Amino acid sequence: MATIAGEPPYQERSLFVRKATGLVRGWSVHDAFIYAAFSINLITLGLYIFSFGPFIPKASLLLAVILSGAYLVFQTVVYAALIAVMPRAGGDYVWVSRVIGGGLGFTLAVCGWWFINWHWVPIYANILTKEFFQPLGAILGWSGFVSFFNEPKGIFTASVITALLAAFFISIGMRGYARLQKVCFYGGMLGLLIIFGLLIFHTKTAFQSSFNHYAVKTYHGPPNAYAATLKKGTYSGAGSLGGLAFGSTILLIPMIAFFNLWSNWGATLYGEVRGASDFRKNITAMAGALVATSIGAVIFILLIAHTMGWNFYNSANNAFWSGTDSMGGVWPYPVTLATFFVSPWLQFIVILLMSMWFFGWVGTVFLTASRVIFATAFDRILPEWAARVDKRGTPYYAILIMLGPSLIISYFYAYNSTFTSWTLDATLVIAVTFVGSTVAAGILPWRKPEIYNASPIAKYKVAGVPLITVSAVAFLAFLGFCIYKWLQDGVYGSNNHGSLIYMGCLYGVALGIYIVSRIVRRRQGMDLGMVYNEIPAE
Amino acid sequence: MRLYFATDVHGSETCWRKFLNAAEHYKADVLVLGGDMTGKALVPIIDDGGGKWHATLLEVRTDMTTEEEVAAFEDKVIRRGYYPFRTDPANLQKLSEDESHWHGLFQEKMLETVEKWMRMADERLGGTGIRIMCSPGNDDQFEVDEIIENAKTVELGEGRVVDLDGFQVVSTGWSNRTPWHTYREEDEPDLRARLEAAISQVTVSPERVIFNFHCPPYRSGLDDAPELTEDMMLKDAGRAVKPVGSTAVREAIEAHEPALSLHGHIHESRGNCRIGRTLCINPGSSYEQGDLMGAVVDVDGKKKVKRFLLTSG
Repeated sequence: MATIAGEPPYQERSLFVRKATGLVRGWSVHDAFIYAAFSINLITLGLYIFSFGPFIPKASLLLAVILSGAYLVFQTVVYAALIAVMPRAGGDYVWVSRVIGGGLGFTLAVCGWWFINWHWVPIYANILTKEFFQPLGAILGWSGFVSFFNEPKGIFTASVITALLAAFFISIGMRGYARLQKVCFYGGMLGLLIIFGLLIFHTKTAFQSSFNHYAVKTYHGPPNAYAATLKKGTYSGAGSLGGLAFGSTILLIPMIAFFNLWSNWGATLYGEVRGASDFRKNITAMAGALVATSIGAVIFILLIAHTMGWNFYNSANNAFWSGTDSMGGVWPYPVTLATFFVSPWLQFIVILLMSMWFFGWVGTVFLTASRVIFATAFDRILPEWAARVDKRGTPYYAILIMLGPSLIISYFYAYNSTFTSWTLDATLVIAVTFVGSTVAAGILPWRKPEIYNASPIAKYKVAGVPLITVSAVAFLAFLGFCIYKWLQDGVYGSNNHGSLIYMGCLYGVALGIYIVSRIVRRRQGMDLGMVYNEIPAE
Repeated sequence: MRLYFATDVHGSETCWRKFLNAAEHYKADVLVLGGDMTGKALVPIIDDGGGKWHATLLEVRTDMTTEEEVAAFEDKVIRRGYYPFRTDPANLQKLSEDESHWHGLFQEKMLETVEKWMRMADERLGGTGIRIMCSPGNDDQFEVDEIIENAKTVELGEGRVVDLDGFQVVSTGWSNRTPWHTYREEDEPDLRARLEAAISQVTVSPERVIFNFHCPPYRSGLDDAPELTEDMMLKDAGRAVKPVGSTAVREAIEAHEPALSLHGHIHESRGNCRIGRTLCINPGSSYEQGDLMGAVVDVDGKKKVKRFLLTSG
């Protein structure tokens, strides 16, 4: 049929949708990007782990961030595909339990998202101390306050504050927490732009002078602290900024994974998705956050090199971790160093702004765990009360079983150095959970063909092989390499014998809960196998 | 008595087939479908001439050249919960330009499907002694009730009390107001009056009463749905969820304390909770994936439900 000039051309309609509950126009990729960006948190996780860069001789931090950031796009494809095929709250638990088996799904998810997050509380607390309490305390001249957080009681106090904050954010509900995260994102971005501006518009000479001034005035460091730092911290194995020592750089990637392995952190929260566009949106949000954060990291690293000097940055970190620093035992937080160009009050305000990267992020330590607790309680593995909510919708028991053990673990973490070393495998345990989900993703087209073929991702293939499988194999290779290096090489601080035994015990406890639960439920006349078994459709 | 409950299958034939097979799979005596049986979309399969056809599902265009391919595509659409129809470009344009025309076609396809489902129930479960009850939900047009009413094997639940092996099931698919202005929704006071009218027909003690109300109780954890913007987008990428259940349903449960209260409506809010001594269940829905979410519940007439499991079949 001819189109009359001036009228919009007829567009063939491929779907007629009537009025029905739940039909929405989609969701904003921008919003999803914000939440993914909070999980791969450049300021908290990134800057903290970058300070361990000097431990891998000759490695290029810049190259490691770029290579790992690009490669981990495979991870985002795996998780976006899993969400598209089985969009369920409970994420890793639901996928592994439905595709591989309930026992494995429960054990991996409970260890990787619940038990291990008790141990992440002191890690979060350590970052809170280094990026909030100590720099702000130092500016205010509260030297006792600053040194308090280097002591066991300070570490424990920070852990209690962290755990209570996370519990509070869960108690206000997803709606409130989502809004808080958004506010924190914009506040944090403003702070980051100010930091970038300060580093762009000042010279290395100006930095040397500022550092020498504030290292003495605020941190009671030695005179000519810049030179002192270089002298004490320089070592022959330090990697150069633009170095192409590929082998060494690859070895830095398992370290960097502490920062950029978490683009999928919110995957346990997803509900319904609608079509292929939602699959693409999920990839765009997760991979976009990964790539944008990696670009942010590259810019930060280059600006540090430009204004502070790459040797100085490495030396400051090396000196801090070897106890010979020039800042009174306070971690050389790059944000603090960048604010040395402005007055102490402005320093205070900018560090406060940058702390929003922590406060918008801290709830994640319990949030995902609460979803796993709910999903496993609804499957009757955990008792019914674990998923109970009060009239305000607060999951008080789930909060309690996150909060209580995390406080006990934080106490031992603070006061018992042997126990502290047992927690070193915290990243490894989550990576093992990812292995389970990634294997489930890889075999999904064959294990659940009906569900897979009915999903919008079934059309995506690479040389005839489902994209989800190709991406899963690629991501498995990454995880396998990281896990091998973490177990094999002491430099990552995670091949501690005691830690492996301790983590093994956590897996044992999780498996024990599952077995006991199956026995108890069977005695009650319930076969938990019914939870996962598919009803024949024909 | 073992009861199997599922809800919100929204036209998915895979889910309906699984629902009928659930009796044998879970050894259930009674099957209850909680509402929203009918699909949400029509999918045109367009004749390009010369034996060629094309259609788009989930934003993926499929070109077909044989009758087998077209039939397989239709089957795929039906399994997902949509209604396929064959047309040509000229008729499709006419249909697109006339809302009443395509609404009529929608209703025809939808009712045809419900009739087909009733026949399937007769074929599979007729004469087995297994009771099946359906109660249309807020998304189901009123014409659906008549078809169920006239079915041989399936019993209609809407607005009435159905006796099941010494237990009484009170049902309604009506909900409180939604942003979509669906067929069976009303203000909370009216809903409360509707619920009370149905409950007043109950003649057994609360331990033997089962509520089958499509809409979940307010602030129960079974009613958390994503908050929407004014232009019907998911706020905060779907992370900002809020309770949207009915206060009338909650008040009815608190006032009458049945042993069990079955709900649906909010697909994402799978779970169970207790309000007083009442066990409330929303098994959720994953109909688009062909995954039948359900609940297997054993009741014995004592104060509390004997046992239950949420299943994903």
